[in-house]
Amino acid sequence: MATLAELTTRLCRISQEHFIDPFSRLDWPASIERNQWFMSPDLVSLHGTRHWNALDEQQRQLLSFFELINFFSINIHGERMLIEGLAKRLYREHTETVSPYLHHFLDEENKHMFYFGRFCNQYAGKVYPEKRFSIVREYADGEEEFLFFARVMLFEEMVDIFNRRMAKDQQLVPLSREINWLHHFEEARHLAFGRRLVEELFENHADHWQQEVRQRIADELAQFLDATWKDYFNPEVYKDAGLDDAYAVRREVLGDPAVRLRRKKLCDRSARTLVKLGLLTEESIS
Amino acid sequence: MSKEGHFRDALRKWIADTSSKASFEQVRDDTPLFRTGILKSVQVTDLILYIEELTERSVNVEQIKPGVFRDIDSIYQHFFAQDHA
Repeated sequence: MATLAELTTRLCRISQEHFIDPFSRLDWPASIERNQWFMSPDLVSLHGTRHWNALDEQQRQLLSFFELINFFSINIHGERMLIEGLAKRLYREHTETVSPYLHHFLDEENKHMFYFGRFCNQYAGKVYPEKRFSIVREYADGEEEFLFFARVMLFEEMVDIFNRRMAKDQQLVPLSREINWLHHFEEARHLAFGRRLVEELFENHADHWQQEVRQRIADELAQFLDATWKDYFNPEVYKDAGLDDAYAVRREVLGDPAVRLRRKKLCDRSARTLVKLGLLTEESIS
Repeated sequence: MSKEGHFRDALRKWIADTSSKASFEQVRDDTPLFRTGILKSVQVTDLILYIEELTERSVNVEQIKPGVFRDIDSIYQHFFAQDHA
């Protein structure tokens, strides 16, 4: 396996060779009709539930439009958190090796936010607001650093599952497909970097953590994964798509067997690095 | 029951249902929710959505100050009291 330093050098080279200018790369129609597919139907949060079955094709497509706005909004908020955290970590003692790649990471995340934000504002007139709020607490040595990069990895792993599926889905409007492809293309490098960094941070710190700290970290990451999954079930989306009782719909579908099955597949895949490290188990994220 | 009592009990029930660390009876109006580990930071999103459902108003997270979710008293004062003043 490549060392983190070797991987950093290789990823920097690829980022330079495959530099993408999103400002000229994408074609932005002045407006887009909403009676088309924007998100793959089987990725829409209500898919497989009685609420989905009650909608006709046009209503499902309208829902897919707002679900894509929510997906891009989730990305904007997640990447803003990521940019804040990465900027704080540039040129610190423990990040000397990886700082060259953090520059590319930051640059690419900023560009992603540009196209996500433009799509949301131009075609929906808004970005769905974030509903997360952090409670400040104290950390053991290395805990905050590990949690930051492990959260980033979980967030990006889940996003990438959606990106890869939608990048190939020919029934989607071309701009949705193209944005999903562009994002996946660069996130693949971020994920390779993130997985290796998380492994290295774990190797450096885990032996010094008492069992109580280790359990706290495992619990927090399992809950973060659950909260990340739930972000895809936004009551504002359901209201905008014309559904009644949006909060009750959210509560109900989160417990729906079809949705639970989808959650298991996505969460198992998103958490595989942390499961491999022995920090999470299939049971702890179920 | 007054509207205030209804909202406080609704919050208490939600907290007890969500947490494995405290029952409905154990969550008093001044019981610290996060310092004692009854709720975790990542559960705040669900709490915010439940407050939106109860108040029928969107919560602007950017305007929330630290301490707002300290206990049921703080949550009630910040999100509900203005409706029943």
